Amino acid sequence: MLKNWNVQRKLGIWMVLAACILALIGCAGTEETSTNKGTKEESSDKKATLAFSWSPASLDPHGSDSWEVMRSGTAETLIKLNEELEPTAWLAKSWKQENDTTWVFQLQENVTFHNGKVMDATSVKESLQRSMDKDQRAKDLLQIKSMEAISDTELKIKTIQPNAALIASLADPSTIIVDVATIDAKDSYPAFTGAFKIKQFNQDESLIVERYEDYWGEKAILSEVTIKFIADANTRLMALQSGDVDGATDISVDNIAVLEKNKKFEVLTATSLRTHMLMYNMESPLFKELAMRKVVDMLIPREEIVSSVMKGQGTVAHSPFSPVLPFGKVENKEETESVNQLMQQEGWKKNAKGMWEKEGKPFEATLLTFPQRPELTVMAEVIQNKLLAEGMKVNIRQVENIDDTLANEDWDLSMYSMLTAHTGDPQYFLEIFYRSNSASNVSKYTSPSVDRMISQLSQTTDFEERNQLAIGIQEKINEDIPQSYIVFPNTVFAVKDGLKGFVAHPIEYYYNHSQIDVE
Amino acid sequence: MIRFLIEHLIQLVLVIFCVATLTFLLLRLSPGDPATIMLKTNDVPASNEALDSLRTELGLTESIGSQYVQWLKDVSTGQWGNSYVSKKPVVDELFERLPATLELAGASLLVMLAITFILGISTAIYSEGLLDRIGRLMALLGSAIPSFWLGFLFIYLFSVQYGLLPSMGRSTWQHLVLPALTLGLGVGAVYARVLRTNMLDMLNQNFVKAARARGMSKRRILVFQVFKHALLPIVTMIGTSFAYMLGGSIIVESIFSWPGLGRYIIESINMRDYPVIQGYVIFTSVLFVAIHTIVDFIYVLVDPRLRVR
Repeated sequence: MLKNWNVQRKLGIWMVLAACILALIGCAGTEETSTNKGTKEESSDKKATLAFSWSPASLDPHGSDSWEVMRSGTAETLIKLNEELEPTAWLAKSWKQENDTTWVFQLQENVTFHNGKVMDATSVKESLQRSMDKDQRAKDLLQIKSMEAISDTELKIKTIQPNAALIASLADPSTIIVDVATIDAKDSYPAFTGAFKIKQFNQDESLIVERYEDYWGEKAILSEVTIKFIADANTRLMALQSGDVDGATDISVDNIAVLEKNKKFEVLTATSLRTHMLMYNMESPLFKELAMRKVVDMLIPREEIVSSVMKGQGTVAHSPFSPVLPFGKVENKEETESVNQLMQQEGWKKNAKGMWEKEGKPFEATLLTFPQRPELTVMAEVIQNKLLAEGMKVNIRQVENIDDTLANEDWDLSMYSMLTAHTGDPQYFLEIFYRSNSASNVSKYTSPSVDRMISQLSQTTDFEERNQLAIGIQEKINEDIPQSYIVFPNTVFAVKDGLKGFVAHPIEYYYNHSQIDVE
Repeated sequence: MIRFLIEHLIQLVLVIFCVATLTFLLLRLSPGDPATIMLKTNDVPASNEALDSLRTELGLTESIGSQYVQWLKDVSTGQWGNSYVSKKPVVDELFERLPATLELAGASLLVMLAITFILGISTAIYSEGLLDRIGRLMALLGSAIPSFWLGFLFIYLFSVQYGLLPSMGRSTWQHLVLPALTLGLGVGAVYARVLRTNMLDMLNQNFVKAARARGMSKRRILVFQVFKHALLPIVTMIGTSFAYMLGGSIIVESIFSWPGLGRYIIESINMRDYPVIQGYVIFTSVLFVAIHTIVDFIYVLVDPRLRVR
């Protein structure tokens, strides 16, 4: 009897425990998030916490971490790109071109670095010199031959050759202005000029920035911003949902619907300057003929990809540059010939199975894709299905390192993604991606006329003329089709209700800024 | 004992040399040019000059032989070379992240030990009872549920839905709870099962029969006699698990944005930061050999019969 009672008691305890666990899980779906750990509602001392996906290895602005430093809102460049992606004054108040290769910049007055030192032409010169010494990209962009501090607020820059993109290039984060003496200091952080200064940097973890009270421009509304580095997209989303952060960047398109269901969050999107594309190997036996590239280009279901793969978070692409750019509005010329006509002109015939073949060999191509951008693999599958329906077999091959495979192996087609106008100017991308002898010209595209037009672009200073020339280059590229442009994906941010001013921007390095506020 | 130490020391040096050389060669054979990857971080293409300049700066234009010799020199100076990305000595980079990993490994080990001992002993005592069935289910789930899924489930439940614990990061003890549970829970449940089985197997041994003949209760025999003997295989398993944890749990650290070695090595592999990967491999090799040596010592302490052998 007693033994029976003991068994029943133990069973009872376990049942109660199991019921508690089930209740805990069961209640989980019924409650909306209500925590507000990230924001302190004090008007005089407002703080916010943001989640970024990339973590800087150091705070050195001249090197691979320049974008992360810029995103923190602590650093500035001479030039800033506005909402229309036009170069505007920032640390440089104005500028004038004296001749093809000489520019004079008038610097802002009353600018101090975060260590209190006044920013003058000499310190700007030292900073730009360091950026070119440390980062070849800055050297490529600026092409500076010499610099001279004419006065405290005037800097003369001479370029090696006419470089009409100089002004836009000075907006690149690799040219951040810093007091160079502070970069290697062991007991302090680098001194920049931004609205926020660095308070604490926790490697791999977070960067805490605080309002710089002596800022030369509009002072920061928030007294402190904590930037948390969360690489995993799901963790970033849940950090936002749990209230650990007030805003997060790079929200996966698959997670947008989850956030939109909850009124406490707002999803912010902007067309990015990034282009997802399908590349052709111009030396591949299959795609060295223009007609074959035309056929594949015609068959890419771009609208379907935007709506299904990108969940509507993107714009159909027909040229390398995003339509938000003044030189991104390239007219799409529809192909007049049908797929069958083009194939037959090239000597292809359909066999009994409905597959195209030439001289007894069926059409079979390999399409490379890579895991770092999973959406590209899904796009590759959509394209594969579409081509198969038209009688063309495509084998998808996923490779770990796409650039290595493109450079060292034989390939036919490849998915790819590029940030095409990171300074709002077309010149750098066209130079690097389409010039016949460039290592980054992965399609191995050669066109003397495009090379000539790119050279002409570098010497054209008039804004309108440059845009027209860039459009002309793209039209020529579109005639040759070294790539099929598929989609301009959106940049997606999400914020908790109450966080103002943290907006998605086509330029991917303006994240934190002085006008972010919390209610 | 001195001979034991010398043997293990020679073993340590040999293992590290072989592992380090193999890693060096395998990395050079694996696809991926560090210069291209580093310069294409934000998907902005790089010029020929930028690529050449970076390859020269990183020493990648040298022959593999001279890169190997240079690396051996770096290792002998104790710096293990500089990280391609941060330009800081690899040793400093690893030791900067070690405290976070130690903290997580220590907490996970506590969770694991608590579950192993409490569940292992109690299921052995109440074998074939309800508790035993729950233990079996937990072990099954522990080995079947992948840690990334369990981690996200914990975040969803304890952070998003109830706001009880932080979802990520490292600053207070609360930040440690979810990653430590994720790491320790599943392994602990499996080890509890092993401990239970070992303890029950021991029940057929002569010394147990003798103890029972002397009138000792089953519970008393299990806790005071059998447990000590059943511990031996568990010590090896715990030692290996702890070495894994000290090497940084790559998945759990990534999910919880825990700034430890695991997360760092993933980023270094993505960037093809050869000196860091090589340094990390040396570091974990030392850890494994050292922990196995310690486990051997504990063996001797737990089972005095091994001293005679």
